[in-house]
Amino acid sequence: MTRFDTTVTTVRQVAPGFIELGFTWPAHLQVPLPGQFFTVKTGGSKYDPVLRRPFAFSSFGSDSTAYSIIQMKGRGTAWLGGRRTGDPLDVMGPLGTAFSAPPASASPVLLAGGVGLGPMLYLMESLVRQAADGACAAPVLAAGFRTASLVPAIGLPAGTVICTDDGSAGFRGTVVDWLAGTATDAPPYLYACGPAPMLAAAAGLARATGARYEASLEQWMACGVGACAGCAVRLVSGDYIKACVDGPVYDGLLVDWESYR
Amino acid sequence: MITKETVPHPDMTVRIGTLVMPNPVGVASGTFGYGEEYGAMYNLDALGALYTKAVTPGYRAGNPAPRIVETPAGMLNSIGLANPGIDGFINEKLPALSTLRCPVIVNVAGSTEDDYLRVVERLQTEQGLAGYEINISCPNVAHGGLAFGTDPDQVERLTRRIKNAVGSGGRPVIVKLSPNVTDIAEMARAAEAGGADAVSCINTLVGMVIDIEKKRPVLARGTGGLSGPAIRPVGVAMVYKASRAVSIPVVGLGGITCAEDAIQYLLAGAAAVQVGTANFSRPETPLEVLDGIAAYMQREGLSKVSDFRTLLR
Repeated sequence: MTRFDTTVTTVRQVAPGFIELGFTWPAHLQVPLPGQFFTVKTGGSKYDPVLRRPFAFSSFGSDSTAYSIIQMKGRGTAWLGGRRTGDPLDVMGPLGTAFSAPPASASPVLLAGGVGLGPMLYLMESLVRQAADGACAAPVLAAGFRTASLVPAIGLPAGTVICTDDGSAGFRGTVVDWLAGTATDAPPYLYACGPAPMLAAAAGLARATGARYEASLEQWMACGVGACAGCAVRLVSGDYIKACVDGPVYDGLLVDWESYR
Repeated sequence: MITKETVPHPDMTVRIGTLVMPNPVGVASGTFGYGEEYGAMYNLDALGALYTKAVTPGYRAGNPAPRIVETPAGMLNSIGLANPGIDGFINEKLPALSTLRCPVIVNVAGSTEDDYLRVVERLQTEQGLAGYEINISCPNVAHGGLAFGTDPDQVERLTRRIKNAVGSGGRPVIVKLSPNVTDIAEMARAAEAGGADAVSCINTLVGMVIDIEKKRPVLARGTGGLSGPAIRPVGVAMVYKASRAVSIPVVGLGGITCAEDAIQYLLAGAAAVQVGTANFSRPETPLEVLDGIAAYMQREGLSKVSDFRTLLR
């Protein structure tokens, strides 16, 4: 974990309201693992906005470029959308926990909702390599969107199952609906990132089928390193974990999704 | 002494009671955990003081989420004093903290006067601590906290009980004052009357953000404590008032982001400062603030930190 000043290599719109950000990753730092995240100081002022913005890695290039898919929702992400190649970028990372490797006996199933696609793409990069080495079964990615126009213009992995809420592309329904109606060769090992209702539904399905389930959590956070205890996520045990250091990847069966928003 | 010439090596030390801090720049309680996280990023021995996250007698899980929300040039937090409790602190956090060369000041909190006493008395026999900061001003707990900080009689009585427990010549007791009062000078005088070695101000200001679509407060507990650059002018004014009301040192904090911000506090009358929310956005801020203060002292001909407060016109 470290803070560094680097350079933007790419900012391009991949769907209405969504960008892919690329930036140079310092060669001396650990290559980020799928599931980990970084934070960016946005805006031109040291006074405002105060909080760094957390984003998941979506890819890592052999030229030591890190990528992220970012939904432009507020002033921080709008500022990022206005960056150009060569602009400076204040980054802290890699932060948080990573997805674990699936057991060889399981079928990895990756569920992505909306902007949750980013970390699932990065995990796919890794699992496809592991499957080629025979370490796990071939992974399947299901990516859900509200409608066809929000499917990003990036090279999705071969075999990606597209789901849309309105049926305008691919499967009509959510990624969890799709999985509920789909048989896998081996017990599925679930990975998911997306809106809280989707993560909660996936937890219900995992519980019903006895599947292992790793969810990527999202929460407002201030420090990103475990110092402030701001990004609390409640567990079914009643305890709280910190999304930034105990997560963002956490056992989805242990999270109190009722409390989660 | 103030000379018209540059001072190549100003004396950066600050004295609080029996404690000599190596420099005036500390890190504020609640923004720095127990030093573990930022200790991985830079050498904490460079700090003037490390004020720990609050310690209460028992473990506290903290408040429901969401606990934080961003505001214009600031943020609200409602953490709820989440901490491992005094035993957890001593067993899990103190071993690493006690290896630091910078002074470690434990922020003490509770719901009753006896809670504060229990924490302080338990720590009296532990090594590796330099002092206590008494948190009578947390706005985010249902009992205690802010309640102590708004009644001068309670401030004086609690301070006296803690000073009696620590003993004269013992570790310094710094009382952290709330800005959520009509007259902070009255609270500073109460702390001084109770025997405090210093006061620190300001803690956060009570604030609320409402989600107009959901028509409810964003924070689960409704209100939270406002920190960040937005509150700096409030903090500077309160340090100005408090430092003129008492003869004990005043430690200034609230929205310090750079050396220029910290120098405002020192000119207003602060003996030392703390960097808080800025640790989140730029962890090396305390080191940059220290360098900037030293450069200003050299340029302005200040030979020691206490010269600052004599300069304000």
